[in-house]
Amino acid sequence: MTALTIDRINKRYGNLHILKDISIPIGQGEFVSLLGPSGCGKTTTLRCIAGFERPDTGRILFGERDVTRALPEQRDIGMVFQSYALFPHMTVAENLSFGLEVRKVAPADRQRRIADVLAMVRLEGYDKRYPRELSGGQQQRVALARALVIEPSVLLLDEPLANLDATLRDEMRFFIRDLQQRVGITSIYVTHDQAEAMVMSDKIVVMNAGTISQFGSPREIYERPASQSVAGFIGRSNTISGKIAEALGQDGYKVETPCGSIGATGPAGLSKGAEVKIMIRPENISTRSQAASGHQQGAGAEEAGSGENVLAGSVVNSVYQGSANQLAVKLGSGDRVIVDVNGRNPLEVGEQVALRFAARDTWLLAS
Amino acid sequence: MSAVEAAPRVEGRSNRGSTTWMVVPALVLLIGFFALPYLTIITMSLREASTRAVYGEGFTLAHYTTALGDFYIWGILGRTLLIGATVTVISLLLGYPVAYHLAKSRSRWTSLLYIFVLSPLLVGLVVRTFAWMIILSNNGVANQALQAVGLIDFPLQLMNNSLGVTIALTHVFLPFVILPLLGNLQAISPDLAMASRSLGASRMRTFWKVTLPLSMPGIQAGTILVFVLSISAYVTPAMLGGTGGRTMSVLVVQYLVDNFRWPAGAALAIIMAAVAVIFVGLYLRLTARAMRRLP
Ligand SMILES: Nc1ncnc2c1ncn2[C@@H]1O[C@H](COP(=O)(O)OP(=O)(O)OP(=O)(O)O)[C@@H](O)[C@H]1O
Ligand SMILES: [Mg+2]
Repeated sequence: MTALTIDRINKRYGNLHILKDISIPIGQGEFVSLLGPSGCGKTTTLRCIAGFERPDTGRILFGERDVTRALPEQRDIGMVFQSYALFPHMTVAENLSFGLEVRKVAPADRQRRIADVLAMVRLEGYDKRYPRELSGGQQQRVALARALVIEPSVLLLDEPLANLDATLRDEMRFFIRDLQQRVGITSIYVTHDQAEAMVMSDKIVVMNAGTISQFGSPREIYERPASQSVAGFIGRSNTISGKIAEALGQDGYKVETPCGSIGATGPAGLSKGAEVKIMIRPENISTRSQAASGHQQGAGAEEAGSGENVLAGSVVNSVYQGSANQLAVKLGSGDRVIVDVNGRNPLEVGEQVALRFAARDTWLLAS
Repeated sequence: MSAVEAAPRVEGRSNRGSTTWMVVPALVLLIGFFALPYLTIITMSLREASTRAVYGEGFTLAHYTTALGDFYIWGILGRTLLIGATVTVISLLLGYPVAYHLAKSRSRWTSLLYIFVLSPLLVGLVVRTFAWMIILSNNGVANQALQAVGLIDFPLQLMNNSLGVTIALTHVFLPFVILPLLGNLQAISPDLAMASRSLGASRMRTFWKVTLPLSMPGIQAGTILVFVLSISAYVTPAMLGGTGGRTMSVLVVQYLVDNFRWPAGAALAIIMAAVAVIFVGLYLRLTARAMRRLP
């Protein structure tokens, strides 16, 4: 059963169409990220779910309950803001107590629940402090505790880590994810940081200009992006243009490119002659100095039947990144390809190399 | 240990030293235009009366004892404070919703409302008071309108009493409560109200528990401004108050200009100032309690 259903919502501000037919089904206990560039409508979507905006058309269901017209206070949500939004005139305990008092929880119960949730976010003993007496990370954890203590049916988080420094952000990612899984609460997380979305989410909604570009697990989105914009937004990727020459089974294709024929994987149903882009992630390409491999320069491509592709090129740039070297390789066709190689075995600029990658590590994007 | 503790103190002292000179111009101004005139008035209030000069030779406390023993003066003092308090309360009640709306609204009509709010300050004092006379007099606009609709048979006494003064002062001083409040309300992050609603609080509860406590500094600043300005206003009560709405400032000017009783008038002025300081001081203590928890 879906815990939360967003059903074809549309939102306009004046004549700006901000959300266009957004539909997202979210399962019980799932952690779903809304990911996309600034201004694509992530916050607006979240505010529609929270009830601070009312969609012009479409419905929002919490379980079976239609909340499209319900006020925020009637929705049973917990919300965490980028600004933390802790009440500055209340202590930590009073901030946590706020939602419980509204719910008329008995004082003894209240105290127990506040102590429990403070322990959960590892802030025991901080209950008498004012928000201004806490660090950013601690304030963030209080905000999280305040949203969780009321045991809402949905937890909404709008870029909660954006104001923290990089180290703390990494730590908090795992902290929030771990907490979410322990509590088992359905969560929607807005971010424009793709790495954050990748490590935290069960599902990612990739948004662009008010539409959903793709909805799927982090693995699906990384390995099988629906479009070039998704591929470009999630991680680094290389693309080589070509035309479908032949379909091989369900999702295998032979693609004709300026570098020769390349074996690739792609969505079912691409027709022969269709213009496509072959996407390959830098970490899926291995290199060998051309001298060592027996291939001739410019010769392309698929080693018959093996599912392995080999392309020749020359190194035009090499960047040391500690754990790996990032090489830029220019192919015979003129395309540039980024490759990750082992840092201990650097290739020189100008050196001829053979690039090797498997057909199953590629993905075809319609162009 | 002691070295660690000493460090910030040294820094604090050097900071203070480097910025002290910045207050010098203000200090000079304050001494020249505030302390000196007050000193002059205080000395004058302690001089004996004289028929030949502004004041006589010797010193006396007689002006104070006479004034404080005079029920008429107590009455006027009480009326002045009552007018001040009424104007302050009404201004706050009228001004808060306006400031709240202005702080929230993003509509393009907001700037129009802004001008409307500031309008009392854009018209000259005397012109504005004359306008109120035209409206409030016995055969003025207000009475004619009320008679025309048949609500009253005889004109209401709307001026030459405290009522007229209160109405006109509220009109002028409304911006002084709205502007500080507006600044305060705009500085409160809208996320706080959203957080409150998300926790299940209604709009009402959110206002009482979050917005109102956080806007206490604006309320405090605005109400003090309006109160102090109202009890010291002269032109409005002089023109609209008549005898029934006479206030301390009017009485003081009457002593000085009409009766030529400078020392006695000065004593009245000092009594008024002292009472104002006491009231504002009490009010500050009272409101400080409400703001104790604010950052
Ligand atoms: N109240 C409003 N009136 C008019 N336009 C608005 C309003 N709120 C948001 N918008 C517009 O809607 C679009 C989407 O805004 P939204 O805040 O949802 O973006 P976002 O994806 O959260 O971006 P960011 O990552 O920068 O927070 C933006 O172009 C924004 O300018
Ligand atoms: Mg946003």
